[in-house]
Amino acid sequence: MIERLAFYSMAALTLGSAILVVTMRNTVHCALLLGLSLLGVAGVFATLGADFLFASQLLIYVGGIAVLMIFAVMLLGRTADLHLRQVNEAWMAALLVVAITLAGLVRLVKLVAGVTAPSPAAPATRPLGLLMMGDFAVPFELVSLVLLAALLGAVFFSRKEETPPPPATRGPSS
Amino acid sequence: MTLAHYLFLGSALFIVGIFGALTRRNVIGILMSVELMFNAANINLAAFNRFLAPAGVTGQAVALFIMTVAAAEVVVGLALVLMIYRARDTVYAEDINILRG
Repeated sequence: MIERLAFYSMAALTLGSAILVVTMRNTVHCALLLGLSLLGVAGVFATLGADFLFASQLLIYVGGIAVLMIFAVMLLGRTADLHLRQVNEAWMAALLVVAITLAGLVRLVKLVAGVTAPSPAAPATRPLGLLMMGDFAVPFELVSLVLLAALLGAVFFSRKEETPPPPATRGPSS
Repeated sequence: MTLAHYLFLGSALFIVGIFGALTRRNVIGILMSVELMFNAANINLAAFNRFLAPAGVTGQAVALFIMTVAAAEVVVGLALVLMIYRARDTVYAEDINILRG
């Protein structure tokens, strides 16, 4: 009963705010609602018993990515944007694509209808750590390289274009 | 709760993300929709791990890798959007069409 309540409330939070994210006009509201939707996904992880995923979802997505999005929206926006249409004219075609994809996915999901959890969820943090240091050691190191590259790329792209300073005039000694 | 509940939630979230990525004009809105799709994939991975392979945690490990790559993607993406905004003074995808900095 409690599990059902938790799942449905978290699913409603996730889906409701996700739909608002893609339809609202004010981009700042979109970014805030994205944070709410990611919070709902964290709750879904909690109902699945994935404790470490729950914690990292809160840390990385809600605490990191959503805040970064809000920063970007506030840096880039203009007040005129609040009155502009935020959805392009292809939304009918997009709705068609979405309906067809949803129908296909629902058919696929029906194949696994009725599968229940075989055992209660166990804590996952310790097995995850062992897995990262064992079988997944190479991808773990590779992903740290990817993060380093992303860090350098972000710094490289976002620094200002600087014209080289004029050669400093030295004293009479030169 | 069955596996189908979680898979249906993941499908719906993915669909919402696709709709956003296809229809938003704002580049940051498109990035947000892509984040929603990443989250849908993560829900599916965690659900498959819980219901079909509860002995291991491989699905959760892959979801963690997806989170890391998504963080890298959003950092680089937002830096690029910032550069485009400085160069072209727009954040709308239909105005960014000259393939030249």
